[in-house]
Amino acid sequence: MMRGPIKWLIVNVIAWIVGVLWIMPFVGIFMTSIRPFKEIVHGWWVFEEFHPTFSKYFEALFHPSYPLWRGLINSFIIVIPSTIIPLILAALAAYAFARFSFPIKNYLFLTMLFMMTVPQQMMIIPIFFMLHNMKLLNTYLGLILVHSSWGIPWITFFLRNYFTMLPTELEEAALVDGASYRQIFWRIVFPVALPGIVSAAVLQFAWVWNDFFFALMLIYDPKRMVATQILPLLKGQYHIDWGLLSAGSVMVMTVPVMVYALLHRYYVKGFTAWAIKK
Amino acid sequence: MLVSVVLENIRKIFPPNVVALDNISLEIGSSEFFVTLGPSGSGKTTLLRIIAGLERPTKGRVIIGDKVVVDAEKRIFVEPGERNIGMVFQNWALYPHMSVYDNIAFPLRIKKLPKQEIDRRVKEVAEALGIRELLNRKPSQISGGQQQRVAVARALVKQPDVLLLDEPFSNLDARIRVTAREFVREIQKTLGITTILVTHDQADAFAVGDRIMVLRDGEIQQVGTARQLYDEPVNLFVANFIGNPPMNIIKLIPAHPVIKALNLEDIVPKDDSLVYLGIRPDEAIATVEIDNAHIVGKTRIIEYVGARKYVKVEVEHGFSIKVLAGENVTENQKVGVLVRKVHVFNSKGARIESIVY
Repeated sequence: MMRGPIKWLIVNVIAWIVGVLWIMPFVGIFMTSIRPFKEIVHGWWVFEEFHPTFSKYFEALFHPSYPLWRGLINSFIIVIPSTIIPLILAALAAYAFARFSFPIKNYLFLTMLFMMTVPQQMMIIPIFFMLHNMKLLNTYLGLILVHSSWGIPWITFFLRNYFTMLPTELEEAALVDGASYRQIFWRIVFPVALPGIVSAAVLQFAWVWNDFFFALMLIYDPKRMVATQILPLLKGQYHIDWGLLSAGSVMVMTVPVMVYALLHRYYVKGFTAWAIKK
Repeated sequence: MLVSVVLENIRKIFPPNVVALDNISLEIGSSEFFVTLGPSGSGKTTLLRIIAGLERPTKGRVIIGDKVVVDAEKRIFVEPGERNIGMVFQNWALYPHMSVYDNIAFPLRIKKLPKQEIDRRVKEVAEALGIRELLNRKPSQISGGQQQRVAVARALVKQPDVLLLDEPFSNLDARIRVTAREFVREIQKTLGITTILVTHDQADAFAVGDRIMVLRDGEIQQVGTARQLYDEPVNLFVANFIGNPPMNIIKLIPAHPVIKALNLEDIVPKDDSLVYLGIRPDEAIATVEIDNAHIVGKTRIIEYVGARKYVKVEVEHGFSIKVLAGENVTENQKVGVLVRKVHVFNSKGARIESIVY
């Protein structure tokens, strides 16, 4: 019977079709960003003339009114603290939830989970007024605080589940060795849980980097705007330069992808497998 | 320091009402190699963890040396790190992200000893355990036997008063197990450190223990030397658990002809409905001479164990026993079984007497 090879063929064809369909939009944007407008006016897949150029990238970066280079820097200024702060705080909280018992533990955890379901759009008005009262509107610190607060619940949930999967024996060995819980957390649990922590960090990075809504609501000085806010401003009033927009989009999109690629090896699960020999 | 370990009336209940340990009292002498032996669920690991401080007893107290480290009623609890104990976990629990050197140095670094002292001690212990060349490797890069030695090194480097071992040999293959047992026993004798080892394998217990305690469902069955447990088991459970191949246990009524054949009529209690006879496979032999035998039967399967042969004999009274196979004994042959030693147990499983022929 020819079931084996035929099945293989069908699976591969489907997989390739899905893969190609998935990647199409990115190819399209990339093509739009490097080809002059007159070449793609009938569609970027038309290849009669092909003179790629990166001029749109420079145009976007050094745009006279809304330069993307400043947007990118601002994004980094916001993202890096907004990843580190919630990661550390949430990791500590997650460890407490995973390993200790205290009276209101379960209620606290469930409340936290429950509150995560409230969307940004509902929270924004009270947040806006809260920042206004604290004089943190339109400041880096304000936006960083909001992103950090937003990140803490989900990272706590994520890491708590991860921590419960770590064998307690490592921590017990450390207890017998005389370590305090603080030492156990920083010297044993944190390093061993690195794959989980890096996963959470990368996700949080991408989330904050790609955020448009909070930035839009809480930052209005063009000098402080983040990259996602600058992009729509590159739209002209009378004429949309698709090449410019695409170039800007590609630059903004690439950053989280590169972060993921760079930290890829920390996802390797090999680590915990060796703490416990099966 | 040479310390003793005393347990007084230790009781551990896991909510809602699982009794893991019921009234365990015991005294372990200084420099003694004490083994707690029992099947899964017997409470042996729980007991070890209570001594270590990783678990709190519901009732009772533990005294290490002259210090009360835990007292459930008086609410005294000394942290595991303050009890001056070293522990080797079943899966060794080596810190995977640190080198072997750092793993062993860890307890000393926590104690904030000076760098040179730490270096000296780590190298000394590593040398003593034969792992000096491995100091720069990570746990994932060394073999199981070597990992175990690193775990032992880490436990010993702080020169603890008591060494605790939780099933340290279960993860090793058979060959390495034998060398590991010898190795642990030698270290213990050299250092003279009071040691408590937990295992479910009676061969391990016999190989290393000065005294062995058999636990079942949280209750002490018997405490004694290996010889005492083997020759004078206090009940059916201990008799069956100790010894390989396991003891043949035969359930009979007191008036059974086999009892007469073995001259046990006076020993067997008359008012009991049942009696159990225990015959170890190594303490009875099947021979082709039927005339002098105590029991007659037919052989079934012969088991060849290298140095000896065992054979399963179907006795004419309706039960089978495994015994040594004598010369010229083959399968499906009529044989006579000569019993060398038999243990008599009453209907409740307690041993009454053991007879040697």
